[in-house]
Amino acid sequence: MKNSKAISVKINGKQVEKTIPTHLRLLDFIRNHLKLTGTKEVCGEGECGACSVILAGKIVNSCLIFAVETNGSEISTIEGIAKVDELSEIQQNFIEHHSVQCGFCIPGMVLAGEEIRKENPHSTRDEIKEKLAGNICRCTGYKKIVDAIENN
Amino acid sequence: MEEIGKSYKRIDALEKVLGQTKFLDDLPDENFLHAAPVYSGIPFGQILSIDFSKAKSYPDFVDFISAKDISGENQVGVIIEDQPLFADKIVRFVGDVIGLIVAKSPQNARDIAKLVEIKIEELSPYFTIDESRNATEIFLHDSNLACEHQVIRGDIETGFTDADLIIEETFKTSVAEHYYLEPQGCIAFPKTDKMKLLGSLQCPFYIQKAVSRVLGIPLENVEVEQSPTGGAFGGKEDVPSELCARVAVAAQKLGKPVKMVYSRKEDVQLTSKRHPFQMRYKVGVSKSGKLLAAEILLEENAGAYATLSSVVSYRAAMQAMGPYKIPNVKVRSKSYYTNLPPNGAFRGFGSPQATFGHERIMDILAKKLGIDPVEFRMKNMLEVGDETMTGQKLTSSVGAKETLQNASERINNNIIQNNNNSHYLEGIGIASCHYGNCLGAAGWHLDGAGVNIKIRKNGKISVAFGLVEMGQGAETVVAQMTAQALGVTTEIIEILPTSTIHVPDSGPSVASRNVVMTGNAIRNAAEELLPILKKVSAEILNCDQENIEIKNCFAKNLKSERKITFSEIAGYLHLNGMKTQSNGWWHVPELDYDSETGTGDAYFTYSYATQIVKVRVDRLTGIVKVEKIWAAHDIGKAINPAGLQAQVEGGTAQGIGWALTENFKYEHGKAVTQNLSTYLIPTAQNTAKVETILVEDSEPLGPWGAKGIGEPAIIPTAAAIANAVSNATGIEFNEIPMTPENVLEKIES
Ligand code: FES
Ligand code: FES
Repeated sequence: MKNSKAISVKINGKQVEKTIPTHLRLLDFIRNHLKLTGTKEVCGEGECGACSVILAGKIVNSCLIFAVETNGSEISTIEGIAKVDELSEIQQNFIEHHSVQCGFCIPGMVLAGEEIRKENPHSTRDEIKEKLAGNICRCTGYKKIVDAIENN
Repeated sequence: MEEIGKSYKRIDALEKVLGQTKFLDDLPDENFLHAAPVYSGIPFGQILSIDFSKAKSYPDFVDFISAKDISGENQVGVIIEDQPLFADKIVRFVGDVIGLIVAKSPQNARDIAKLVEIKIEELSPYFTIDESRNATEIFLHDSNLACEHQVIRGDIETGFTDADLIIEETFKTSVAEHYYLEPQGCIAFPKTDKMKLLGSLQCPFYIQKAVSRVLGIPLENVEVEQSPTGGAFGGKEDVPSELCARVAVAAQKLGKPVKMVYSRKEDVQLTSKRHPFQMRYKVGVSKSGKLLAAEILLEENAGAYATLSSVVSYRAAMQAMGPYKIPNVKVRSKSYYTNLPPNGAFRGFGSPQATFGHERIMDILAKKLGIDPVEFRMKNMLEVGDETMTGQKLTSSVGAKETLQNASERINNNIIQNNNNSHYLEGIGIASCHYGNCLGAAGWHLDGAGVNIKIRKNGKISVAFGLVEMGQGAETVVAQMTAQALGVTTEIIEILPTSTIHVPDSGPSVASRNVVMTGNAIRNAAEELLPILKKVSAEILNCDQENIEIKNCFAKNLKSERKITFSEIAGYLHLNGMKTQSNGWWHVPELDYDSETGTGDAYFTYSYATQIVKVRVDRLTGIVKVEKIWAAHDIGKAINPAGLQAQVEGGTAQGIGWALTENFKYEHGKAVTQNLSTYLIPTAQNTAKVETILVEDSEPLGPWGAKGIGEPAIIPTAAAIANAVSNATGIEFNEIPMTPENVLEKIES
């Protein structure tokens, strides 16, 4: 098919091969084609972080990337963060610290938290806030989200 | 162990951190048809023609739905019947919906919707309150005044004559967009003569009524279920009724499920916002600082349709002079139609605006009198036995002074000394407020709510309630209260999704009602179940009922110390075909209120709060940084202290945005601040450190003494920030938002 391309990516440890339209956003590929709906769309313009996924080890806004550009790479979504029956430490912290309200920003926030911890396990609160500046939450005021990411 | 007062972890958190919660748009697409709105691009005009022939030729086109397809009434007005479901003669704002395009995919529906050609003869629009009020011909509706309320008490003339100081001042607050993260959306499922709706929403019973009316089918043939809702803040109070009713018209006609989820752009342009207010306060005081008289005019920009303006205007009027004693008042509160999207409910519902007025004038008065702002407030603040500005005698649970006391103690070691030459100016600002719980006299007829509690065979308890979880933590506190009422632990409580089929009409999930209403309904249901549980336990344990204690999922014979588990009791009930469920109900007690004069019991009880903020103003850029907020809230009793703190942290963050950065703008009725780079809601970097201070002044009518917190959390924040910026700069800031440009302009002039 014209304007389509076959791609092969590893999503949450599973190899998938699909033929997809070249203009398909990574976000739509993940949500509509792979049915991984934990990744959210809020702004669609790279401003909110709700659509965050980890692509080749880096956190990205999946609303700004064409799926075909990810051919051959490894991607993790929120669904790939917990190991069977075991939450990641960040996920556990989000529950313990009452960091969750409506939950719509939370998948992006958890991934951002994972990334911040990976980069520097001992980031200060100010560093965490700076790195979270691209993740919007309208419910929490962020304090309890920072609490969950801070390693103390 | 007590289940109440414990920071129980949210029962919905696990699913949410795993990304497993299925919000509306996450549900598998079972061959739904998809709708997109066709709306006016013109703020005011007469519809001359609607032509969808181009749209029709598009391969994926299914249908164009408009007023002609409505089998019931083309009316969706909430309180005043001024709003057609589909505009068919006149359009009154950019975003007034004329029809829906139904197609096989959402993207195609949106593309095809652009092909519908609408010819409109433009009328000259009104955008501001002044333009609307001063209009002499051609009104938006019968007149441009949507509604009004007043409070007339005492004699302001005498009050002003006795006053040693009279101050008059004008204040302005701006429009604000909810920007809940999950956009509006719903799915309508038609079944012969019935309709089921599933959606992201706050008020299922409003939708039930709206859909029944528009489809012309009985109320009981409409079922509304809430899907997990990704934030609402009032924005999903009235608007989902429109969405659901429109989609239901399409589903009824086509006989197939139809889904519609707004794009962010549609959501921002088409849906309600916070009312901008302009307010004139004239207040007289004695030399010693006693409030004597106030004459207040509140004017509200209602937008194109009245929707909830009447109740926003009511609340603002009833609370216009705050938590203070003042014997002589005259308040008029007027909402004017303009050609902007209808303004509706947004957390606080007119209170943050009125609080901006009364707390700014309190600070200006204190300064002029040379009295410390804390002392001045303390002198006038309500306590038990006092009468509110509407003449309501307060008999219990007035923690106002305690909030002021507790918050102001925190600033004692925060003495501020600004150096005239320094780059930054620091300032402290105080704001106190009261918030009438639930719907008040204006909405009393709707102010009941129910629960259904079922004891399951497996020893678990399921609860259905009529109000909703929209992120605030309702399900968790409902589970805690149920557990407390029945002597079990919160772990065994399961909460069912809110649906109109489980409980009677419980009114809207607004006005910080959930804890009070649902909590009392739970207690009511427990009154019926507890005697049965005791009787059965006594039978099994072979003792007198008086000796039975039910606690922590066990029933114990206090004499012999023999115990049985709650599961055993549940099993016994089911085995013997006994009563295992109960419907609880609570209605707010009657209020003695005179609507002519606006005096008497405006609400059955009030939450109180004082927030004190510390700001730093950058003199060169005009940027205001809120460094710290001490937020003292009298909530009667904290059911879940951590959840309550989370409400305060989130509410104050929204208050910071409204006060400083959220500068929503229209150009000729079209929203120009459509995205997050132009409409600046707070990020992790520009929220403040918040210290939540709980004051628990028990309310006898509240469940376990509790009152509401959802809205009080945001109400004083912006006023306190404006007071702090005024304090820091020595310039009076009477208008928000205080964007860097606005601040700089004032500093430089
Ligand atoms: S949806 Fe991608 S950044 Fe907002
Ligand atoms: S929890 Fe609702 S947006 Fe973050």
